[in-house]
Amino acid sequence: MENLEDLKIMAEQWSYQGIEYLQKIPPTQLYAAVGVLLFTTILLLLSIRLVRRTKSNTVLLSGLSGSGKTVLFYQLRDGSSHQGTVTSMEPNEGTFVLHSKNAKKGKIKPVHLVDVPGHSRLRPKLEEFLPQAAAIVFVVDALEFLPNCRAASEYLYDILTNANVVKKKVPVLLCCNKTDKLTAHTKEFIRKQMEKEIEKLRASRSAVSTADIANDFTIGIEGEVFSFSHCCNKVTVAEASGLNGETVQVQDFIREYIKP
Amino acid sequence: MLEQLLIFTRGGLILWTCKEIGNALKGSPIDTLIRSCLLEERSGEVSFNYGAYTLKWTFHNDLGLVFVAVYQKILQLLYVDDLLSMVKQSFSEIYDPKRMRYDDFDETFRQLRVEAEARAEEMKRTKQVVKPLNGVKKQGQVSKEETKKSNGEKKDDEGKVSSVSNGNHKMEDDVANGKENSADNNNSVGVDVSKLAKLRSKGVRGRGGLRKADSIGSNKGSSKVEPPKKATKKNRVWDDAAAAPKQEEKLDFTDEHGDNGHVDVVAAADQGESMMDKEEVFSSDSESEDDDEPISDEKPEAKKKGWFSSVFQSITGKANLERTDLEPALKALKERLMTKNVAEEIAEKLCESVEASLEGKKLASFTRISSTVQGAMEEALIRILTPRRSIDIMRDVHAAKEQRRPYVVVFVGVNGVGKSTNLAKVAYWLQQHKVSVMMAACDTFRSGAVEQLRTHARRLQIPIFEKGYEKDPAVVAKEAIQEATRNGSDVVLVDTAGRMQDNEPLMRALSKLINLNKPDLVLFVGEALVGNDAVDQLSKFNQKLSDLSTSGSTRLIDGILLTKFDTIDDKVGAALSMVYISGAPVMFVGCGQSYTDLKKLNVKAIVKTLLK
Repeated sequence: MENLEDLKIMAEQWSYQGIEYLQKIPPTQLYAAVGVLLFTTILLLLSIRLVRRTKSNTVLLSGLSGSGKTVLFYQLRDGSSHQGTVTSMEPNEGTFVLHSKNAKKGKIKPVHLVDVPGHSRLRPKLEEFLPQAAAIVFVVDALEFLPNCRAASEYLYDILTNANVVKKKVPVLLCCNKTDKLTAHTKEFIRKQMEKEIEKLRASRSAVSTADIANDFTIGIEGEVFSFSHCCNKVTVAEASGLNGETVQVQDFIREYIKP
Repeated sequence: MLEQLLIFTRGGLILWTCKEIGNALKGSPIDTLIRSCLLEERSGEVSFNYGAYTLKWTFHNDLGLVFVAVYQKILQLLYVDDLLSMVKQSFSEIYDPKRMRYDDFDETFRQLRVEAEARAEEMKRTKQVVKPLNGVKKQGQVSKEETKKSNGEKKDDEGKVSSVSNGNHKMEDDVANGKENSADNNNSVGVDVSKLAKLRSKGVRGRGGLRKADSIGSNKGSSKVEPPKKATKKNRVWDDAAAAPKQEEKLDFTDEHGDNGHVDVVAAADQGESMMDKEEVFSSDSESEDDDEPISDEKPEAKKKGWFSSVFQSITGKANLERTDLEPALKALKERLMTKNVAEEIAEKLCESVEASLEGKKLASFTRISSTVQGAMEEALIRILTPRRSIDIMRDVHAAKEQRRPYVVVFVGVNGVGKSTNLAKVAYWLQQHKVSVMMAACDTFRSGAVEQLRTHARRLQIPIFEKGYEKDPAVVAKEAIQEATRNGSDVVLVDTAGRMQDNEPLMRALSKLINLNKPDLVLFVGEALVGNDAVDQLSKFNQKLSDLSTSGSTRLIDGILLTKFDTIDDKVGAALSMVYISGAPVMFVGCGQSYTDLKKLNVKAIVKTLLK
């Protein structure tokens, strides 16, 4: 008990001393000190908010194994796919300015491009990169589309219902690769097929109870057939040919969403 | 002759191919190698066969490069391993991450190849001199072993010496260094003589059982004949040895009139949500980064010096990991895995694979060797347990529904693992999701099996197709599927009798059932309590299914149902063994004995438990 009282008395003494000291300082200095303090705190807060608001410039290249992501990655980086590729076992990352035939003038901001392996055993790697993604390019093999349609749509469904993608409204580009071949499907056909498959997935997965452990969110509007326009994040379709170097549409998409 | 030699990065870009031998490879051996070997954590193996080619590989883990050599399977080139290591050494000197073309390497490669071939020729010549001396001492079998071992193995000399001293029976020890081909052949050669008599007797009965395909179910092929215990009990006739008509009495004890009203029609069992749909709630206990027990096996004197240098290295982080550094950490890890009930063979292979992927890598600063190894093992385990294909059954059921045919699931497994119980759980779960289910009682052997299923069906109020006992299960299944198509059931769950994996006639009956009915899903039911036998069970089941399959389409095990998961506390290793050996994903986990005790496998939780 005595200790508490002693402490109280000491605290009071210190506060009196502090107030006396403050009153001793001429007022201008005091105001200046307070002003500097306020200024620095405001500066700190602003910088923190700015840092948060600057979007990451990471673009993810995802898709099934064999759809041509690694070829596309090297095309965007170097303009050629060198001597060919094999199934990737690890992601390819790089921060570079997109390689384009007609050199654009002005400052082009380098883009952080990540090519995530498509093999199903390496699926957890995608979840590592999703939080930092500012845009996603989902590459689909337009040549061998129908046999892989179901697997591709399941993958796309998982991406579109991922918590990070939905909350940040990450734009997705459905890129139909290998369009240089004669028997490749058109992007309209691919878009319609994917919508149909995702509609079926929606029906089978939302038949589960409210604790949907498989997917974080559901997409689309209840009662209507699914269409990509129902997603809250923007989903567009484009064509490309990795081997021929026709990556203009992909480059436009990237440039649109990674602002300098 | 070497068909091709490739150098590529782990990210998938090909850096260099040998342009001299410009043969195009048939099929896609490299992609298949990556998908079915390197990504399946089998990098510790010696070689990989694909069609007419054999592939050998080596890693440079520090730079992230893979070197693969492809050659014809029939040729047994001795210099491939040597060549690969030399190529690795010289290429890593000129490697630059920015460079994409390495045309100057062609010349170097040509020289290296010539050197390697010359060295191999010399070795062959010296071996031929030694051979006749040893050939006199050995028995006939060991000479066979030699030819098989000369597939470019460098441990030939060791093997010869030890085999001379040990004799036939100990050959398994010699070849415990991952030489699978020779190991299997040796085992079969060694035991052939002793088991020949048994096989002969089995063979007769087995064939006899097949001849009479309909009435006497082939289930009884090689079981023992029961001696008559009481006067009332008569001998069961297992094959057509003495198939006198008087002995074909009715052994079918199914009650024709149905149960005598004892059973009260229970209301549909509604025990709430199946655990498949509930969120997994597991306490995230604080992960201790440090190892629980330090590696206390090592000698104390060496420990002091080793500890100081390892601490120094861990701070600077410059050391390249060597095999000797990795060995103690890997050994400890293997012991830990084995205490968690992972089969010994699987733990060994996993450790080899992790070793292959870490050797030569630079230690990151401020990390110990043990934590690097642990991280690599964790990644490897997550990779194995992540399913290779989608395990969305609801989607498959819907797809089959569109095609207007029922989705057929066959439950197979050894005796007593819980097939019938878990079949009922799966039926309950499907029913909760508004899928119409039908059960097919194709266990026509075990007494009470049909009644058991009938009781489940009555409780769940779903139709059951049964034909009593002593009928051919394949035919019963076929009729069940036809019935399901007729009355529009979405799913047919087929229950089969339990059978041991080395029971030849029963396995034949099983493959007959599968070939005849072509189910959509072959689910292997395995209990989590099983130990090293899991490897044997699954590999033999798969082997028999592939050997005895007809009409081109080989159906193997598509999925695993792990049962009795609640009886093991943290010894969850059986899941890992089963998935590794078969490649099939775990689709369901049975964790109790009531209808709701069925859940999905949580990969991260299992990996955490395994490495705790």
